Amino acid sequence: MNAIERRISTTVLVIGTGGSGLRAAIEVAEQGVDVLAVGKRPRHDAHTSLAAGGINAALGTMDEEDSWQQHAADTIQEGYLLSNPHTVEIVTKGAEQGIRDLERWGMPFARENDGRISQRFFGAHTYRRTAFAGDYTGLEIQRTLVNRTEQLDIPILDTVYITRILVRDNVVFGAYGFDLIDGTRYLIHADAVILAAGGHNRIWRRTSSRRDENTGDSFRLAVEAGGRLRDPELVQFHPSGIIEPENAAGTLISEAARGEGGILRNALGERFMERYDPERMELSTRDRVALAAYTEIKEGRGTEKGGVLLDVSHLPRETIMTRLPRVYQTMMELQMLDITQQPIEIAPTAHYSMGGVWVRPEDHSTDVDGLYAIGEASNGLHGANRLGGNSLIELLVFGRIVGQAAVAHASGLEAQLRSADAVAFARQEIDSLLAADGTENVRALQRAIRNTMTEHAGVVRDEEGLTAGLVALDEIEARMGDIGIHPDIAGFQDLAHAFDLKASLLAARATVEAARERRETRGAHNRSDYPDLDPSLQVNLVWSPSTGVTREEVPPVPAEIAALMRDVDVTGKLVE
Amino acid sequence: MSMATIEGQAAPPPAEVQSFTVTLLIRRFDPEKDTEPYWQDFDVEMYPTDRVLDALHKIKWEQDGSLTFRRSCAHGICGSDAMRINGRNRLACKTLIKDLDITKPIYVEAIKGLPLEKDLIVDMEPFFESYRQIQPFLIASSKPEKERIQTVAQRERFDDTTKCILCAACTSSCPVFWTDGQYFGPAAIVNAHRFIFDSRDEGSQVRLDILNDKEGVWRCRTTFNCSEACPRGIQVTKAIQEVKQAILRGGNA
Repeated sequence: MNAIERRISTTVLVIGTGGSGLRAAIEVAEQGVDVLAVGKRPRHDAHTSLAAGGINAALGTMDEEDSWQQHAADTIQEGYLLSNPHTVEIVTKGAEQGIRDLERWGMPFARENDGRISQRFFGAHTYRRTAFAGDYTGLEIQRTLVNRTEQLDIPILDTVYITRILVRDNVVFGAYGFDLIDGTRYLIHADAVILAAGGHNRIWRRTSSRRDENTGDSFRLAVEAGGRLRDPELVQFHPSGIIEPENAAGTLISEAARGEGGILRNALGERFMERYDPERMELSTRDRVALAAYTEIKEGRGTEKGGVLLDVSHLPRETIMTRLPRVYQTMMELQMLDITQQPIEIAPTAHYSMGGVWVRPEDHSTDVDGLYAIGEASNGLHGANRLGGNSLIELLVFGRIVGQAAVAHASGLEAQLRSADAVAFARQEIDSLLAADGTENVRALQRAIRNTMTEHAGVVRDEEGLTAGLVALDEIEARMGDIGIHPDIAGFQDLAHAFDLKASLLAARATVEAARERRETRGAHNRSDYPDLDPSLQVNLVWSPSTGVTREEVPPVPAEIAALMRDVDVTGKLVE
Repeated sequence: MSMATIEGQAAPPPAEVQSFTVTLLIRRFDPEKDTEPYWQDFDVEMYPTDRVLDALHKIKWEQDGSLTFRRSCAHGICGSDAMRINGRNRLACKTLIKDLDITKPIYVEAIKGLPLEKDLIVDMEPFFESYRQIQPFLIASSKPEKERIQTVAQRERFDDTTKCILCAACTSSCPVFWTDGQYFGPAAIVNAHRFIFDSRDEGSQVRLDILNDKEGVWRCRTTFNCSEACPRGIQVTKAIQEVKQAILRGGNA
């Protein structure tokens, strides 16, 4: 174990090196202000790089009738009225600038023949407003941002795990952590801290997040610093994650497969969407398709392995090879399955945290002065169901805004007041875990949380199950008192997993408690015991460990946006 | 009764697929103990759909926790796990066991030409230093009112070289790079190509001047090792030739 503690001072510290973190860091650096970005995995491998489909902005170059107001209306409509209209307005108004920024830094967007940035339809959008780069949009965005950080010489640490945000009298003064390879401790002093460390969808068994990512780290770091969470129960389940092999379970089959004409069948061969959305069928919205697939499986009409079948084999081979190349390749590699010949076995998969750290819409500041949250860590844009392509643009818009807000906060400080006690507490937290020599295995407990969430707080929930889920989480917490941590010669992953576990438990508890309070069915949140939408629950649910769940009013939708809200016909449009 | 879902059950491995034993010969090196690298063999039970990375994980988790290698995304995007497998540079996460001849041991060693740190890990810093030197970012001074215009053909012109994941499989397969490590190497040139041939970029001349150096493109002897090694299928040698031609044309990409 390395006894050295590195001490670093910077003006703005960014936790997380995905799209939102890098975008914020770039904004800070462009203003000539010191910034340091740290992450727990290589920047080239951030979760942003997995996003396939596209990024939304009402550029109006393809469909000139489009406007930011219409984009806002579509977003709020699809979010079942739980989006914060101010957040939505900021994102949709700032979206064009977000695309411009990327383009300015060399993003290789797909183009039209005359040279405009190409835009395509996504599910539930009124107009074509999704810009893209093949089916690697997120990857190209991440690369473009990484290149820009190189150009600006922004320091980035790829192997630092942040364990605690340092706070004195509700004002941030830095963060504490350790190096994943050699265990070196990091004490980082900063005037402002931007939390961009993702959501919590890895706490379900089948998830589109890979091992060690989206384990609820942001939620824990914010809450332990004095922040709160909003709508943690609102989690988007993607209809089509693959089932096998076990280590790749949850890998997504792009919704383009349905957009191109893929057909869903249960094990009996029935085209079951006829029962759930006879008009839109397979092109129905994400929440409805996920619920339909879940219900078929739950009621015994699923496959032996517990899935349903997505079939594109009737499509011309040429269509599959040109429009769904990544799906073809993925299935070939993972299952040696030829999708031009055979159907794909799929099941609903936890995909996106629409809730997150409580923030103010204007600048994504939190309850703690100098602490900001962005990206999947934050919330406010997506309501109860996220519109495809909106999460990527949110990174670009709020990255910029939060970068500026953090700089302004730092400029307004008269002194950075630190707390030796807070630092000592952070040191002690790691020390005591490293000394833990109990019999419980960290990974096994993580799995227990994922099983609990899947069983009791999955696609469909009810009072009894959620209550049982809380009991199960209590038991897991008790077992966590007896964990053993054994950093080995190859690194401190075991210690990182212990912190992941603490984060996941907190995120799980918040999710289950809020899900129990939301006694209605709305968007991605399905309650079998409350199958209808309850207008009195058109509120956000705010959670903290001390207050539990409280209600917060959603501000009214401005008239110019409300006038444009209507159900969007998705016929013939690609969905992602 | 709560809503039990299928997700609660671990999918058992399909019974009909046969596992088999594979021998891996791994080139080990611990700078604190060893003066020279040496080969060590491991037997592991694998399925045909497993990859070399799965085998390395199995060894690390079940047999020898000290085995050291880089990996992150495990699906060929992050570029961390390029290694020399049976004498060819590949990504461990993309190399299926069934595609190798398993009647013989599988040889796994670190990529060549970069300083060996430990087991399968090399110091990537010289590689990234070359990459940074070619200024891998868009250099453009114009301030368009909306976006910069770029036709489909212009966008297509540099599409191939956008695919690079900086895994170093190409550079570390290049015999010229092996000789002294001074040559910029294929990956840096590929990333220069990506911007030289981007119609929006105004920094081509700077990059071409850099690559017109004696350690630049002219050291390429068109062995095609790089093209064969690229896990993304980039036509690396072709890209290098195009940069050479651009220099000869006096910078007109």
